[in-house]
Amino acid sequence: MLPPFSYIAVHSKQEALTSLASLAGAALLAGGTDLLVRMKKGETHRYVIDLTGAAELSGVKDRGGTLRIGSGMTHARIGAHPAIAKTCGGLAAACSAVGSPQVRNMGTLGGNLVNASPAADSIAPLLVHNAVVTLESIDGMRSEKLERFITGPYRTTIGKHEILTSVEADTLAGYNEGYRRVAKRAGWAISRLSLAWALNDADGVFKDVRIAVGSCTPVPFRPREAEAFLAGKGRERPVVEEAVKMVLDEIRRISGMRPSFAYKLPVVRDLLLSVLGGDSCS
Amino acid sequence: MKRVGFTLNGKTTTCDVEENELLLHTLRERLSIASVKEGCSIGECGTCTVLIDNEPCYACLTLTAKVEGRDVLTVEYLAHADLLHPLQESFISHGAVQCGFCTPAMLLVGYSLLLKHRQPTDEQIREAMSGNLCRCTGYVQIIEAIKDAAPVFIHSGS
Amino acid sequence: MFIGRDLDRVDALAKVLGTAGFAHDLRMEGMLFACVVRSTKPHALLRDVDVSGAYAVPGVLRVVSHKDIPGQNTFGALRKDQPFLAESRVRYVGEPILVVIGENEAVAREGAARVRIDYGEIDAVLEPDATGKGRQIYDTGSLMAYKKVRKGDVEKGSAASDVVVAHTFRTTWIDHAFLETEAGIGYVDEGGRIVIKSSTQNIHYKRVEISRLLAIPEERIRVVQATTGGGFGGKLDVTCEGFLALAVHLLKRPVFMRYTREESFLSNTKRHPLSIDYKTGARKDGTLTAVKVDITGDTGPYASYGDAVCLRVAVHATGPYEVPNVWADCKLLYTNNPVSGAMRGFGVPQLAFAHESQLDEVAEALGMDPIDIRIRNGLKRGSVTATGQVLSASAGFVETLKKIEPFWRARQKTKKGSGFGLGCMYYGIGNTGVANPANALVELGEEGRVILHTGACEIGQGSDTALLQIALETLGVARSDVLLDRGDTDTSKDAGSSSASRQTYISGKAVQEAALGLRAFLDEAGYYHRGRALGDIYRATKDKGRLLFEGFFNPPASGLDEATGQGIPYATYAFASHMTEVEVEEATGACRVKQVHAAHDVGKSINPKAIRGQICGGVAMGVGLALMEEFIPGKTASFDAYYIPTSLDMPRVEVFLVEDEEPTGPFGAKGVGEPALIPQAASVVNAVTDAVGVHVYELPCHVERLKGLIESKKTTK
Repeated sequence: MLPPFSYIAVHSKQEALTSLASLAGAALLAGGTDLLVRMKKGETHRYVIDLTGAAELSGVKDRGGTLRIGSGMTHARIGAHPAIAKTCGGLAAACSAVGSPQVRNMGTLGGNLVNASPAADSIAPLLVHNAVVTLESIDGMRSEKLERFITGPYRTTIGKHEILTSVEADTLAGYNEGYRRVAKRAGWAISRLSLAWALNDADGVFKDVRIAVGSCTPVPFRPREAEAFLAGKGRERPVVEEAVKMVLDEIRRISGMRPSFAYKLPVVRDLLLSVLGGDSCS
Repeated sequence: MKRVGFTLNGKTTTCDVEENELLLHTLRERLSIASVKEGCSIGECGTCTVLIDNEPCYACLTLTAKVEGRDVLTVEYLAHADLLHPLQESFISHGAVQCGFCTPAMLLVGYSLLLKHRQPTDEQIREAMSGNLCRCTGYVQIIEAIKDAAPVFIHSGS
Repeated sequence: MFIGRDLDRVDALAKVLGTAGFAHDLRMEGMLFACVVRSTKPHALLRDVDVSGAYAVPGVLRVVSHKDIPGQNTFGALRKDQPFLAESRVRYVGEPILVVIGENEAVAREGAARVRIDYGEIDAVLEPDATGKGRQIYDTGSLMAYKKVRKGDVEKGSAASDVVVAHTFRTTWIDHAFLETEAGIGYVDEGGRIVIKSSTQNIHYKRVEISRLLAIPEERIRVVQATTGGGFGGKLDVTCEGFLALAVHLLKRPVFMRYTREESFLSNTKRHPLSIDYKTGARKDGTLTAVKVDITGDTGPYASYGDAVCLRVAVHATGPYEVPNVWADCKLLYTNNPVSGAMRGFGVPQLAFAHESQLDEVAEALGMDPIDIRIRNGLKRGSVTATGQVLSASAGFVETLKKIEPFWRARQKTKKGSGFGLGCMYYGIGNTGVANPANALVELGEEGRVILHTGACEIGQGSDTALLQIALETLGVARSDVLLDRGDTDTSKDAGSSSASRQTYISGKAVQEAALGLRAFLDEAGYYHRGRALGDIYRATKDKGRLLFEGFFNPPASGLDEATGQGIPYATYAFASHMTEVEVEEATGACRVKQVHAAHDVGKSINPKAIRGQICGGVAMGVGLALMEEFIPGKTASFDAYYIPTSLDMPRVEVFLVEDEEPTGPFGAKGVGEPALIPQAASVVNAVTDAVGVHVYELPCHVERLKGLIESKKTTK
């Protein structure tokens, strides 16, 4: 059972923004797979604004070099979208791995990002694609890099009257891209750890390496030092090992030593060794 | 209270519900659709699964107000008069039913899958079922039932 | 005609239509809702209980405490030691204190949330302490049960061994995780009797408990089993039935209850966590010489089925092998942890994990193939078990190994991380060393319809269909001639619980006996030889009263000697061998179970399709036990944190049946419900060892534990 609230269905983005600005104590409802679970556990809101009817929040646009993905796109639709599969394959793979089929039919990309769970599957691949989120309110629009937008576990910079309306991600043609999650069972599980990557290499030399690690640090992150170290280097075992060591150091630097790292760090190490070393592990 | 209109099992339905009411509650308590079960109420077990516009969704995490104008199917849709749906026949003949608490939801997931994939592989079936827990069967006979219903399903023009 | 046939389940039609009336679905005009206020402390005195907040909620009609109980405030299947409602002290988190009854669910739950309890906390005992020196919950000490089995001289046997392997194995709490939580409805019928319909595994037992609780005779109570969404042992103890009876007794209105999932996890009994010190001795040729097993288990604050688990694990300590010298001790100790109770296998799945791991290590030390050491030592006809019982019939264990032997010999690791393991078991059918009879009634009813009345509870395992098949075969009548009437104390006699894999064997035999009575009558009346119709026979005799034929079966077993455990604990045993293929990913510690070959000696297969269903379900539960399931008090509140296998976690399963008929069973049948699960976790663990060379001594072997083992193996290299 849910605590009482007034339900408001909007039919456009503008209507959503207006409602959000005018109603104190309003929550936005997209798929409901996070919000309603929290509300069942006691979270209360005076108003719940259902964004389902705001068609502008859906859809995917190729803007030449980037894809703009509507925040209302469900995980299932993203996972099945041909353009996303082609140039943003890690995201398609991640969205196809979120929760269960029902959660993927219900939950949206926007909801996943705003909820900002450290285990959210969509974040790591979007970081690899240098994603930028667009936030709109009745007063205007702003853009922010995803890695800045998420500030901590379940914390973002979203304002009280803002709606995350879309995400813009680099298209990466010619990259070897992937997403890998580790969980305690094969289906319907929360990620214990996740890894997204996009590698561009030619003749055994890394041109561009992008890695993101999820469920390990408070916010999924890009190990920039290791990425920079690899650029221009040959794909050789000592090089890869050095880069992996740098990633682990960065994780420890961000989070300190945590009990879960006894498990997670060796897994990050082994998965990265195989991804960077050229084994298929996805 | 709020008036919500939607299609339930092919019939136009209008229902007065609380604004914070969940579809699970509306179906079970107002519309006497007892086949939609409550196993956990937080979207983890799948026994409340219904099809909304043919896609499996958890009714325990769906506000009734949200299905305004949409098409909702429960297992009651499958059989017509005395005639079982081929999937239901297949579940019975394959021994896919034990305690039966997950069964209506499993049937709906199978139905939704067969609408999209006329000859699903074992892996596709397993994937489609992975949001629905079953503690009795180990899923094996359910997978077989869905797979074997596929040819009949197409034939029956569902 | 009907035995060995894949008859469709009698309950399947209603279940695929969605019309089956589960306990969750029961509704009555004017019904109230009741919910339980439970302890949030593991050990505390109840200093003050303030219910005024609950009564302030409009629609709350009554808050019931232990003071409202007219009869005995204790229940328990084996010992009456557990309060329905706590009196002055609570002993585990989740212990019931009050029942709040309101006009509807929202009101009742709101009322329950507004009760204020002042707890005087007491240090909780959270670790079982066998020394008796630490803090204790009861003045009488921490030891709840202690059972032993002694055969031969285990020290001499060890001394004569060429190899001795010793390890300690640990398991944790497992939840039944049936998909329908505990639920039921109660009301007063026209005759003023109390009627309870619930999700249960045993109606006659529940009636006894309600009778004690309300201090009214059993005749004034009717218990009916609603369609039940799974049991696995978790609906053997009294769950909501006592509260419903109390509420109905006090308010005389229909009352409905349904536990939330969180409440179910919190309150339901769990599989006993066991710590098993296991020592195995063998000679060079692989012959087992001695087994010494010292088991300690956590029973929580109450006994529940602890006595049965304690004795059963001691009796099954060696696994399905003939061992000349056996020393087995099992002690269950009180703690303030969740109440441990009956769960599919009564402790034997935990033990199989230990004895099967041990056997593989012995084989490894001797350079033997794991299947050869099992065949060499396997129980067979003429073998003497650990309790000194000579197996005179129906002992097809080695045959189950032979069924999977070709696959075992042909096994091939297809990729890095793949591995194969064996797991075997034997399991005594029915309760251990005590009488556990079943009754059945077969009636020739109106229009010549044969009615089978059984008190056996169908919990999904398929007893309704199996019992019907036995009746049909015995009577030689058509399917449409027989009506099944089950799960109602008004129309059936006690069949005992649906537990211990006993209904096919024991109730099946009782049904056969009853049907034989009717058959003799029908024969006399000319049904079989003169072609006289059932309706004609009925009409000709109906004035003489109801044509009821009783059947009764109590398996021939005996009590066990207290000091040595020697005796005949069961009339018959089921046997099984599972072979499991896994793939372990060393990078992540993820283990995927790819394929299982499962061979079972079921005596006689009544319904092969249903048996296959039991085995596949048992495999799933075994995969969960091996790899992921772990109830952590305070942490695994629902299915979001307590993981059971999904469809993607399941292997392919090939089932093979051995039919070494049991002379005392119906058409030779035994049971398969628990055997299906028992060897599975063991075979997974042995496959993991084969795959990555690490030994697993603690369950569950989830990704983190397995990765940890792989990592420490690397560093010790």
